[in-house]
Amino acid sequence: MSNTDKATLAATQSRRPPLYRDATVLKWLAQVAALSLVVFALYFLVTQAQSNLAKKGIATGFDFLSAPLGSDLSSGIDTDPDTSGRALWVGMVNTIRLSIGGIIVATVLGVVVGVGRLSSNWIVKRISSVFVETLRNIPLLVQIILIFVVISTLPRVEINQGPIPGWLHISNKGVSVPRVFISDGFYQWLIVVAIGAALGWLVMRRRSRLHDATGRDTYPVASFVAVTAAFAAVGWFVHPVFGWVGNVFDGLASGIGALTEQTVQILLSVAALLVAVLWIRRFLAQHRSPAGRAKLSDDDWFRVIFAGVVAVLVAIFVNIGWPGLSSWIINSGRDLFEVLGDKFGDGRTGQPIDAKRPDIEQPGNFPNYGPAGLNLTQGLAAVYFGVVFYTAAFIAEIVRAGILSVPKGQTEAAQAVGLRRLTMLRRVILPQAFRVILPPLGNQYLNLTKNTSLAIAIGYSDLVQVGETIYNQTGKTVEVVSIWMLFYLTCSLTISVVVNFFNVRLKIVER
Amino acid sequence: MSSVGDATTALTEELAARNDMIVCQGVSKWFGDFQALDSISAVIKEREVVVVLGPSGSGKSTWIRCINRLEVHQEGRIVIDGVELTNDLRNIEKIRSEVGMVFQQFNLFPHLTVLDNVTLAPIWVRKKPKREAEEIARSLLERVGIPEQAEKYPGQLSGGQQQRVAIARALAMEPRIMLFDEPTSALDPEMIKEVLDVMKELARSGMTMMVVTHEMGFAREVADRVIFMEEGQLVETGTPEHFFTNPTEDRTKLFLSQIL
Amino acid sequence: MAEMRPVDIAAASPASQTAEEAVSLPPEQPSTPPREWIRQNLFSTPFNSALTVVFGLLVLLTARGLLNFTFSEEREWDAVRTNLRLLFTHAYPEEQYVRIWVCVGTIAVLAGLSVGLAATTARGVSVKRLSSGLMALGAVVALGVVLREPSALSNADGSVRRNDSGVIRESFAEAMVDRWGWWLAAALLATAGAALWFRFGDERRRSTFVPSVELFMGVTAIVVLSAWVYPWGHYAFTDGEFIAEPGRTVAMSTKLPWTVMWLLLAVALAAGRRLRQAGAGSNFTLALNLCWLACPFVLYWVVLRDPDLDWDRVLSVDIPLGVLFAAGGAAVLWLLTDQRIGELGRIIAALLLGLAAFNWVAAFWGWYPMLQKVRLSFLLVALAALLAHNFAGDRSKRLRLLTVWAVVMAVFHYMATLMNSPSSVETPTEAFVGGFGVTLVVAAFTLLLSFPLGVMLALARTSKLPIFRVMSTSFIEVIRGVPLITVLIFFTIILNLFLPDGMEISVLASAVLGYTLFSAAYLAENVRGGLQSIRRGQFEASDAVGLTALQRTIFIVLPQSLRVSIPPLVGQAIATFKETSLLAVIGLFDVLRMANNVIPAQTEFLGVKREGLLFVCGVYWIFAYSMSKRSQRLEKQLGVGER
Repeated sequence: MSNTDKATLAATQSRRPPLYRDATVLKWLAQVAALSLVVFALYFLVTQAQSNLAKKGIATGFDFLSAPLGSDLSSGIDTDPDTSGRALWVGMVNTIRLSIGGIIVATVLGVVVGVGRLSSNWIVKRISSVFVETLRNIPLLVQIILIFVVISTLPRVEINQGPIPGWLHISNKGVSVPRVFISDGFYQWLIVVAIGAALGWLVMRRRSRLHDATGRDTYPVASFVAVTAAFAAVGWFVHPVFGWVGNVFDGLASGIGALTEQTVQILLSVAALLVAVLWIRRFLAQHRSPAGRAKLSDDDWFRVIFAGVVAVLVAIFVNIGWPGLSSWIINSGRDLFEVLGDKFGDGRTGQPIDAKRPDIEQPGNFPNYGPAGLNLTQGLAAVYFGVVFYTAAFIAEIVRAGILSVPKGQTEAAQAVGLRRLTMLRRVILPQAFRVILPPLGNQYLNLTKNTSLAIAIGYSDLVQVGETIYNQTGKTVEVVSIWMLFYLTCSLTISVVVNFFNVRLKIVER
Repeated sequence: MSSVGDATTALTEELAARNDMIVCQGVSKWFGDFQALDSISAVIKEREVVVVLGPSGSGKSTWIRCINRLEVHQEGRIVIDGVELTNDLRNIEKIRSEVGMVFQQFNLFPHLTVLDNVTLAPIWVRKKPKREAEEIARSLLERVGIPEQAEKYPGQLSGGQQQRVAIARALAMEPRIMLFDEPTSALDPEMIKEVLDVMKELARSGMTMMVVTHEMGFAREVADRVIFMEEGQLVETGTPEHFFTNPTEDRTKLFLSQIL
Repeated sequence: MAEMRPVDIAAASPASQTAEEAVSLPPEQPSTPPREWIRQNLFSTPFNSALTVVFGLLVLLTARGLLNFTFSEEREWDAVRTNLRLLFTHAYPEEQYVRIWVCVGTIAVLAGLSVGLAATTARGVSVKRLSSGLMALGAVVALGVVLREPSALSNADGSVRRNDSGVIRESFAEAMVDRWGWWLAAALLATAGAALWFRFGDERRRSTFVPSVELFMGVTAIVVLSAWVYPWGHYAFTDGEFIAEPGRTVAMSTKLPWTVMWLLLAVALAAGRRLRQAGAGSNFTLALNLCWLACPFVLYWVVLRDPDLDWDRVLSVDIPLGVLFAAGGAAVLWLLTDQRIGELGRIIAALLLGLAAFNWVAAFWGWYPMLQKVRLSFLLVALAALLAHNFAGDRSKRLRLLTVWAVVMAVFHYMATLMNSPSSVETPTEAFVGGFGVTLVVAAFTLLLSFPLGVMLALARTSKLPIFRVMSTSFIEVIRGVPLITVLIFFTIILNLFLPDGMEISVLASAVLGYTLFSAAYLAENVRGGLQSIRRGQFEASDAVGLTALQRTIFIVLPQSLRVSIPPLVGQAIATFKETSLLAVIGLFDVLRMANNVIPAQTEFLGVKREGLLFVCGVYWIFAYSMSKRSQRLEKQLGVGER
């Protein structure tokens, strides 16, 4: 090193700039300031809400869940729930049933219409595009209300009234169709089917390996279906042997009930600290050179410190700030396993699934649908068909775009190597189209689930409508809204996890 | 400073009298596990043109980007014209406006006209009046040989023209040092010359330049010094004659035998 | 040319925008002979033929059902006709109604100017499509005349004649003769189409285009003219009185304003075109866009609300405050844009920000009283001071900055004063306009407010700063994970619980707030898509020339990313527009509530819902469909999403 650059280095001695000029410090200062601003605002709002509620004489807390509810629900598994909590549960079940049923039918309809838009037949193409353009440009709420009003103005229910008596009834009371329902012993049977599916999957893997090795037709998918079906058929009769599973759940329930609050608090804080420690360890490992020296910039140090501080704060919060959390966890965990224990319990020996045809009864002056069939009341029918048609229009567009996104060259290439039409569809076109279709499709499923909340406008008792009834009676708006948000966030998370799972699988398949 | 060619003592003495523009001392940088720079030490003097050679992945670009703080070095010190590169905002600002950079992919702003591309920084960073900035920009465009393209958008120009606009954009900040990160690698062969001509003219005008390139002709003709890097280490330094005719290190010889 | 993809070139070059006159429009596809067309599109294979027959019958049956439903003697379209005013503006007072027309007129003028100034790249409708469309329309009318069941016979008092088996109808032949007017219309349409078709040869038919704007103006001109000539009838529901006078022309209070509106639109359109030819520069477009931005605020708070100003207070408090902040802020900015100030400027700005923040903290604990707008102005001064160094420069640039600041302060204090003044328009609800008007108001404010918020969220989510990223991501994902209705209920019902004493927020304002946050989360995702499409080199280049982070965002990042995200942003705007129908659920009198609750409660139209709801469907559909068509065209122009 020559003299001049030593001199240069010596002339510039300041190693650490003053704090107000240090880029890293300023960066983190700004972030922490913004964060504390948000935290402060939230804190202020919450204290304000508490004092406002106290002034109005409304106590906060979730006690109302076990208090009786003063009104009936319009439909659901239990139309006369004894507590608000039970009513909310019925609402959740209604929402979930509506969503799952809607997703299935909307997907089928959407795919049909989407393919129809690409048909070479002019009339089919036109009908499909009119379907899509009409439905997706009218607000869903308007559609739902219109369907509701139209159903309410249909002719009255009468004995032997059609269109197909005994199978399909349409009247101002809604729609009634045959009902397939879960009966006794369904859950035990489900265990048998699950075992069958697992075995079938093993068989399928072996068979497809055999196919790869020898080139013979081994029908892997068909054998999977066959094994599962065989187990399902046998399980139909032997499922009661799995009655002991219920006892396991009962045992878990009493185990959780035996936990003390302290234990849960300690477990939670340990979990928070553990997560932080693991994260920091992984972070440090990523920033370590092979020689074993950690290369941490100021920025990295800030991250590590921040993670640690957050973990400690969470631990403190769990123990001091919100001790009720642990008792809530104990109670709800015990309840959950008790319910499971009951569902899987002994003594449920009937057939797993049953079906009944709709009927019309006349107890008094006016005939009405009997309990046997699947009755879509006006409200349910309106929400269901509204949501299904609306979502189907969007799914149709997604399917169309997905199919169009596969370049023509792919078809030509597949034909050039002599693939049969079906093989080409299954192996070349569909996997590629699917990759494009799946993410927006998952979004639509999410939208459908969220859109079922519009039932509030026509009084069908989904979660939101039940919640509205409850807060109108008790004034517990904040609690009800937080239950809504938790429920919908859980649904969103579930759907995105499922979609992501398939997304990843598809990407591997494609590779 | 491992080896300075003995045939160039006169030049060394002359250089020693000049100011240090870039001083690097023990500069190291890691990307995760991978060490991109391994204690690099070098000095670049005022009005010196240094060409950095080396196989791809040898850390040339990382080094040059550290000098402009597009990457942050983790160990060692970098001092530019008496200002050390640290977290100090004032120093970063100062160095950014004193060091011009030209990228392999030009990185012109596609939504602005050529003139706006060149005047943007002088107006908003150097705080020049718009008219003055435009005058300077036009004269710079003339200097790089494309005065007639001022109102066009980058997308309407050829690669060579775009790179010359990029040079003009860097010069508009009146930098004391120019860094070139493989300026001709993304160009079609027939356009390389027009860019190199501009760079040669710039070198003759006395600009301090640090050039990462694969153009050996340019290195021979223009460079005061050639630096050879491999695996993040500075392997050999010397004048072009020394470097191309009589390299001392085996790794340099291997590299030269592969490309020449 | 690895750097520039062709898409960018097309999007970036002004050539595609300025040289459109020179572009010769490519002709449309040549037409296939009808027989060939039918064979190819309807009967190409046996399966296709079967499909055609089945679905053809289905279409005919559906069309028959719809026609019979719509034109049934039992339909009470009077419920819609007489309540049009209610559906569009709710109970805005009759004597002040001119204010509504001022709003419509302002929008017409702005729209005309904008369309006139904008360079049209759409080629419009070809004569071939126009004429075949006219002929098809004629055929559809004729088909409808045949499909609709014969009309019911009526008694002398106008009621429908019935017997035991239902309504008594005339015979089919009588019906066909009775509908001579419809036959005439069908024949006229078909003849006009055929005349157009045969006047042009095949080549010219395909290569002559009628610009969409002219077509639109022409069609609307016919509609407006017909109001003066054709007896559409006069229907109204004023002061609880039900008026239905078929057989006369539309009332003067309807046709005169609409004629004026049409004329305003036409004049503005012509003026805009003249301005463009005269080479009115980007300054004029900028001014126009600013007018669009200011339009919702001015129209709602000034024109519709007609604030009742307390002049004593205005002169003694509001104006001095505004001047004080304009001048004081200007002085601070002048000081901080001085190039010699260096870090000292940032320290001063940070202190100011601390002071502004302290004002709010003090407000929360009630330490010292202060007008809210003073606190806000303080905050604005501090923020401006913090950002000032990004906009420093020579004297003229600094002066321009001060002018902008003065204008911002003037607008801010003006709006604050107006918002704090009570309204002098007496309406039964707090939202002044109801019906479709409130839908437009909410949609406009939501879009206007959620756009900057969405951009900020997207920037935070893509930022390198982890805490900002986490905060933004959690906000976006929570909002996107829950239904809009729960957000709206939260804001309309619970928000007041969270506010300090004495602070109340109206249902309309909290609804707008809810919509804004909801839509911002979705907008942020769209903008993020655009941000991610920007290559890293752009960031590096702007760093290398020394731009600050804010300058980089404003000059380099946003212009490029927003261009990419325009189509999804328009899609989000349409979604927001449709979502405004939820206003009915949270208790505002929007158009849906009018049709579903208010009209069916009128004694004349007890329980009449279907007509009104169908009308609402139609209104929403026309708006949403035209917007989505426009956005598809835009998407094609920008070349986004093409492979």
